[in-house]
Amino acid sequence: MDILTITAILGAILLLLLAGGLWIGATLMVVGYIALDTFSPAPAGSLLATTLWDHSWGWALTALPLFVWMGEILFRARLSEDMFAGLAPWLDRLPGRLLHVNIVGCGVMAAVAGSSAVTAATVGRMSLPELKSRGYSETMAIGTLAGSGTLGLLIPPSIMMIVYGISAQQSISRLFIAGIVPGLLIMGLFMGYVMIWSAFHRDEVPAAAERLPLLEKLRRSRRLIPVLLLILAVIGSIYGGYATPTEAATLGVFGALALAALSGALSWQTFTESLLAATRTSCMIIAIILGAAFLSVGMAFLGIPVTLAKWVSDLGLSPGMLLALLTLIYVVLGCFLEGASMIVLTTSVALPMVVAAGFDPIWFGIYLIVVVEMAQLTPPVGFNLFVLHGMSGRDMWTVTRASIPFFALLVLGVVLLAVFPGLVTFLPDLMLSR
Amino acid sequence: MRKSLDLLYKVSGGIAAFFLMMIALTIVAQIIGRLVGVTIDSTESGGFFLAGTSFMGMAYTLKTGGHIRVSLLLSRLSPELSRAADVLGCGFAAFGCGYLCWQTWGMVHDSWRFGDLSPGLLAVPIWIPQTVMLSGLVVLAIAFLDDLALLLRGRVPGFAAPHEPALDDIETGE
Repeated sequence: MDILTITAILGAILLLLLAGGLWIGATLMVVGYIALDTFSPAPAGSLLATTLWDHSWGWALTALPLFVWMGEILFRARLSEDMFAGLAPWLDRLPGRLLHVNIVGCGVMAAVAGSSAVTAATVGRMSLPELKSRGYSETMAIGTLAGSGTLGLLIPPSIMMIVYGISAQQSISRLFIAGIVPGLLIMGLFMGYVMIWSAFHRDEVPAAAERLPLLEKLRRSRRLIPVLLLILAVIGSIYGGYATPTEAATLGVFGALALAALSGALSWQTFTESLLAATRTSCMIIAIILGAAFLSVGMAFLGIPVTLAKWVSDLGLSPGMLLALLTLIYVVLGCFLEGASMIVLTTSVALPMVVAAGFDPIWFGIYLIVVVEMAQLTPPVGFNLFVLHGMSGRDMWTVTRASIPFFALLVLGVVLLAVFPGLVTFLPDLMLSR
Repeated sequence: MRKSLDLLYKVSGGIAAFFLMMIALTIVAQIIGRLVGVTIDSTESGGFFLAGTSFMGMAYTLKTGGHIRVSLLLSRLSPELSRAADVLGCGFAAFGCGYLCWQTWGMVHDSWRFGDLSPGLLAVPIWIPQTVMLSGLVVLAIAFLDDLALLLRGRVPGFAAPHEPALDDIETGE
């Protein structure tokens, strides 16, 4: 049997098991096992145990549970209650006014939470009622929230970047730094769209509240500012080369504990709750990472990635066409897989193909994360659509329609990143050259 | 029986959470050590605690509905068919996990027999952290069997618990 046939058989088994509702980590392990046991002479069973063990205690991976824990602590620190009051006075003068609270609030929450569903839910829970009572357009309120909720994947420290870095064996520090400019770019695109929209829909944007003096503005955001400083410290320590991502994550955990203690939210109960929640989330992600690690071993034994890379290069696609094709595949995949699984599946199969086509692996990681963001907005199972459907009480169609412009802006973002790859690689290169 | 099983998952989850805290503490020890000029290498200890967190937490995560799977298609099937798929998947997972336990036991046994040491400064016998992996997997296999038994008796299995606790208190407005 030739490799392409084997690949097709394995792919069919993978889809069947996934659709049948087997856990994703387990599915990946089973497919890897079948690949090794059926199509190669390697001892699949003992390779399974040793691969899982070897990949379960990597130093780079230790950053993952710690960042998850930091987010869980800050999430319980009553941060979200202050988000609206803290951001509103600063953004009220921009065209589009308080709609920007959704975007900037999600940007801040994204750095904290690292999960797009949690980001959209937390910000939306207090901003949707506030925007409605002030008379803002409901469509725009929902759309901005659905769109910017996806920032959770892109703004560092991002869990998805750790997942990609681990599976693709790329530097997590560089990925974090590379995500900064694209994250700000996409926030900028969203804010720009809101400004242009508001110019055409003046009647749907209520008047600004009274102008507050600077001190009063600072007083209202007094609980947000320390959080921003903590995130800056975490990212800054990585960027400056003072700390590895794991050390920066530890700094983040202790900073978050201190902030929670200062705001009076730290109790034995919130401490253990945050720790248990972090354990659950990181176990879930690590199960997928371990499954993918074993699948990669199986794929590599059979030489599947190399063969696929050659097959694709024989097709003679231009890099642009390859990228467009991949994007299309991801958006379809995103209809039934969530982010981490899409990322680990890619890296065990498609990465050599992409690198062979001349793409930088760090650049491709950021591209992949933006595309996964888009997938959070595609019906029928865009995760953010579900969250907003549940929260706003509007039907899926209304929510989907409200998010279409923001989906389009993400597409525009991907095109910009593809045309100007320097947007991604500039900062990490600068970091390395020092 | 029910109570002692639930206690088992809770205790292993608690141990996992404790290990997670220990990752942070060993890294703080490394940073402080570096500041005062003592070499403390937490690369290995942090890694072992991470492995401990991951494997000890697996069963607890499963029983609280934390592990993800694609349930979109199952939810479209008739209740009988979707239950049959659940039984099949859960039984298969229990079998696979049991097999993995056996293979892991082989690995631990080899490490112990050959006296393998960890490669870094700590140089601990590697079977010690590997035993934690094995224990976690055994608890996970028990959890799968437990869920299978629940399914067969027509009860709600632990893995079907609602996940994403952060979204629990969202009201479905109006």
